Amino acid sequence: MTILTRSAYGEPGTSLDFKTGNWRSTEKPVHIHAKAPCHGACPAGEDQQAWFALLQEGRVEAAWRALVAANPLPGVTGRVCPHPCETACNRKALDGALAIHNVERWLGDEAVANGWAYPVEEPPADAPVVAIIGAGPAGVSAAYHALRHGMRARIFEAASEAGGLLRSAIPPTRLPRAALNAELDRVLSLPGIEVTCRARLGRDVSVEALAADHAAVLLAPGCQEGRDWDVGGSVPADHHEGLALLKEFMDHGQFPAAQRVIVHGGGNTAMDLCRLMKRFGVGEVTLVTASGLPGPDTATDDLINVVPRELEEALEEGIEIIPHATVNRLIMRGSKVVGAEVASLKKVPGTDGRKKRVTFEGTERVRDVDMVIPCIGEMVDPEGLHSWINRGYLRPSDHWGTLSDRIYALGDARGDRGTVAEAIGDGARAVAAVAARLNGGEATTDTRAELPASDLNPVYYPPAARSVAPKLPVSERTFEAEIEGDIGHEAALAEAARCLSCGNCLACDNCWTFCPDSAVIKTAELATDGSFYLFDLDYCKGCGLCAQECPTGYIQMRPE
Amino acid sequence: MTDATRLAELRQKFGRVPEGPSDPKPGTVSPREAQPRFRGLESGHRACQGCGEALAARLVMECAGPDVIVANATGCLEVFTTAWPQSAWRVPWVHSLFENAAAVASGIEAAMKARGKNTKVLAFGGDGATYDIGFQSLSGMLERYHNVLYVCYDNEAYMNTGIQRSSSTPHAATTTTSPAGKERMGKRHLKKDLVSIIAAHHIPYAASASVAFPQDLQRKVRYAMGIEGPTFLVIHSPCPLGWKHDSRLTIDVARKAVECGLFPMVELERGSLSNVMPIRQVRPVTDYLELQGRFRHLFADDPRAEEERAHLQALADYNITTYGLTGGDPDNADTVGTAAVGRGGHPAGRLRP
Ligand SMILES: Cc1cc2nc3c(=O)[nH]c(=O)nc-3n(C[C@H](O)[C@H](O)[C@H](O)COP(=O)(O)OP(=O)(O)OC[C@H]3O[C@@H](n4cnc5c(N)ncnc54)[C@H](O)[C@@H]3O)c2cc1C
Ligand SMILES: Cc1ncc(C[n+]2csc(CCOP(=O)(O)OP(=O)(O)O)c2C)c(N)n1
Ligand code: SF4
Ligand code: SF4
Ligand code: SF4
Ligand code: SF4
Ligand SMILES: [Mg+2]
Repeated sequence: MTILTRSAYGEPGTSLDFKTGNWRSTEKPVHIHAKAPCHGACPAGEDQQAWFALLQEGRVEAAWRALVAANPLPGVTGRVCPHPCETACNRKALDGALAIHNVERWLGDEAVANGWAYPVEEPPADAPVVAIIGAGPAGVSAAYHALRHGMRARIFEAASEAGGLLRSAIPPTRLPRAALNAELDRVLSLPGIEVTCRARLGRDVSVEALAADHAAVLLAPGCQEGRDWDVGGSVPADHHEGLALLKEFMDHGQFPAAQRVIVHGGGNTAMDLCRLMKRFGVGEVTLVTASGLPGPDTATDDLINVVPRELEEALEEGIEIIPHATVNRLIMRGSKVVGAEVASLKKVPGTDGRKKRVTFEGTERVRDVDMVIPCIGEMVDPEGLHSWINRGYLRPSDHWGTLSDRIYALGDARGDRGTVAEAIGDGARAVAAVAARLNGGEATTDTRAELPASDLNPVYYPPAARSVAPKLPVSERTFEAEIEGDIGHEAALAEAARCLSCGNCLACDNCWTFCPDSAVIKTAELATDGSFYLFDLDYCKGCGLCAQECPTGYIQMRPE
Repeated sequence: MTDATRLAELRQKFGRVPEGPSDPKPGTVSPREAQPRFRGLESGHRACQGCGEALAARLVMECAGPDVIVANATGCLEVFTTAWPQSAWRVPWVHSLFENAAAVASGIEAAMKARGKNTKVLAFGGDGATYDIGFQSLSGMLERYHNVLYVCYDNEAYMNTGIQRSSSTPHAATTTTSPAGKERMGKRHLKKDLVSIIAAHHIPYAASASVAFPQDLQRKVRYAMGIEGPTFLVIHSPCPLGWKHDSRLTIDVARKAVECGLFPMVELERGSLSNVMPIRQVRPVTDYLELQGRFRHLFADDPRAEEERAHLQALADYNITTYGLTGGDPDNADTVGTAAVGRGGHPAGRLRP
């Protein structure tokens, strides 16, 4: 109520009676909680912004717990993930993307060193049980997420140990077995997860039998079956397929004798094989790939599909790479390879709108080599899966992995995957779908829009250089010692402090400080996130200043 | 005690490191009442959307209050805060005339002294009230060495009466009394260098500040509050209506004025330059000018426009060299360091592990 004073004075603060909010323009400020681009890009579904926020508060264990809400194997992905999150990071345009994988790895290792408990509980004895085929990253992730949803998990693994390609193919120089074992054991020993090794689908168990007494059957067998390969009809007598060669080397530490080798392919297997052979003593190792190398003009679908720093290290080590090329023809002496004809190739748009590969006439050159090793990918081993396989893969119908009512496909076996992070994300998704179905609903995805860099106000972020992990010099690289090192506590926290908190409040107080109408209310003296600020629309005039000066894009103006 | 030791003492006490806001209130109170800062100037005032002057005054009150008395000259600030019978002020506040805020403040200060009270007296005025019409009373107040902090809210024209030029209006800006047109490219004359004139009174402290750098602004207020004697602060306060810029851009415009050198951030003690805010990355004046309708004519296809842009750039360059605004390594008090944020506030008060 307005109090009229006797003469020309007003009681202190009585302007509050006059609600200037009714003068507001057509827009009002809102807090938006947008999705950070790193989160959108992480195939494992991590919300990096959220765990960086906790690190910025100095809450390291809480940050790890937030991370493992999505990805139980940060020590693994921190080492081997090609980190699409960093490619998407908004800080890229300022002074370099966050080195997310470095911090992720450090957090994973901290958890192991300190024995932090995973944020899961043992499900009750009568909880629904999911059966999982394969203890690669997809199967392990599915088992872990089953616990998070209150279900039990029973894994059947054909090999004698869990880990899948993490153990059988990725070299220890990139993923030391101590680190792998520590993290894997911690997950697989969680109460509620049961692992049976040397149990092969098709031989020891069947999908139908498992489906009969489990809530769902999750198929994560990966791809084990080499593809047929020949160049113009010729297959050398001593033909070796890349992944098989690599696995053999993992077990026995030997490669067949050769001095000059061409590896044909453009993925992780090709790259690892090149590096190991070179280190083993092969004089000339050449990678022939149809893809392009990273560069300003390289289209994403043309880019070679390996971890970026892997490529860098390979070049350091003296691997020769011939991009946009293919092996056209093998030159044989008897059934032995003595040379290879390499020709330039490019993906160009075809008449049907899809890209097709064209080999250019007149670009052929001949290389003298002892061996040509194809690394052109694998397919699902059909044993026990005949009725589910479709052109080499399981090919589920959706991103949850649905094959049929209670059967799901995850990881590499889907046919459209190829990284550890994707396999981990698949595990989480399939289990979410199972849980939702058991609860009589449908699983939901995070449909929030991603926050573009243009919505940030970069003025408020002082420059800070991206952290660099220590690396073994080429001369000291062996078959065991890890090549890349740990960045350490201090650098990890400094890296976390670089996070711009895209689309989520960092409690900088800018809105509170700058609102000319004191229409932003802060509810705690020490704030850390957006839950501490309110708009008092009774006084907000809709000037838009808070939205403009919010560094994170967390405030946006919306029509009333 | 010599002035030098006294100043050293004050720097120690009120200098660089800003204190955290504190205004704790026990018991159950509304969120507004529980704000962890002193609410000397409340919501519900009638300023325009995005008003730089309202913001500047609130920032000053936050760290000057609560034990203060304000004498306010006629102008927007006076008008929009005190539409009778309401007042947005939560401290004793008085308005008398356009030209006499400093004189009124002098009188209050003398009365306080006579009654043995320590209450600090503040005098507030717009640029019209300070650079022009109240200049004489301000000069007298400084010369008589009253213990008053005078704050000039510089929006570079007589805004309350409809955007007439003042001696603070920048060169080449359009106002209703310096219109751009066939005859002239906006204001013919230069912006008066008031801080130097004030400093020539040999007062303990005179400084310029900007709403774009609130931590710096508040540090300057605290520093001045700790000085016994006349002190002066001029705060660059964009006026979206008068400068013709989008209301959301108030801070952006103010920041660019500093970053291009047209509004130098300086501190003078006893008439000598004691500190400046270094510009980490100097921008061209056009970055600042192009945001504002009052300079729109400078972007016309007209040789005079080009000349005036060059003139304003020369004035900015002059400030930069005169005050030494560039150079040096990144510094946490430069334009980037002062604006920096981190989780839980400004880096100085940021949460630490
Ligand atoms: C050399 C190499 C390097 C790589 N480097 C990287 C890298 O740096 N970064 C990256 O992100 N990805 C990398 N990858 C890819 C990555 O390893 C795979 O995408 C990932 O391991 C797929 O996980 P998955 O769980 O689907 O399958 P897998 O890891 O293949 O695991 C499948 C598991 O199922 C078991 N299984 C198979 N058939 C049966 C059956 N019938 N019954 C029971 N169990 C069965 C297998 O024994 C295996 O343990 C690399 C791959 C290779 C080959
Ligand atoms: C002696 C006198 N002349 C003229 C006026 C009319 N008047 C009231 S406010 C004002 C302009 C104030 O300009 P400024 O001091 O810059 O403050 P602003 O409104 O821009 O904040 C004028 C000219 C007056 N009140 N008294
Ligand atoms: S799993 Fe890969 S994409 Fe996800 S946060 Fe880790 S490095 Fe980034
Ligand atoms: S700055 Fe932080 S929140 Fe933004 S994309 Fe990069 S990691 Fe994610
Ligand atoms: S700055 Fe204040 S008045 Fe302006 S839109 Fe934001 S809350 Fe409303
Ligand atoms: S301005 Fe700062 S405190 Fe306000 S919403 Fe944005 S990030 Fe949060
Ligand atoms: Mg004015």
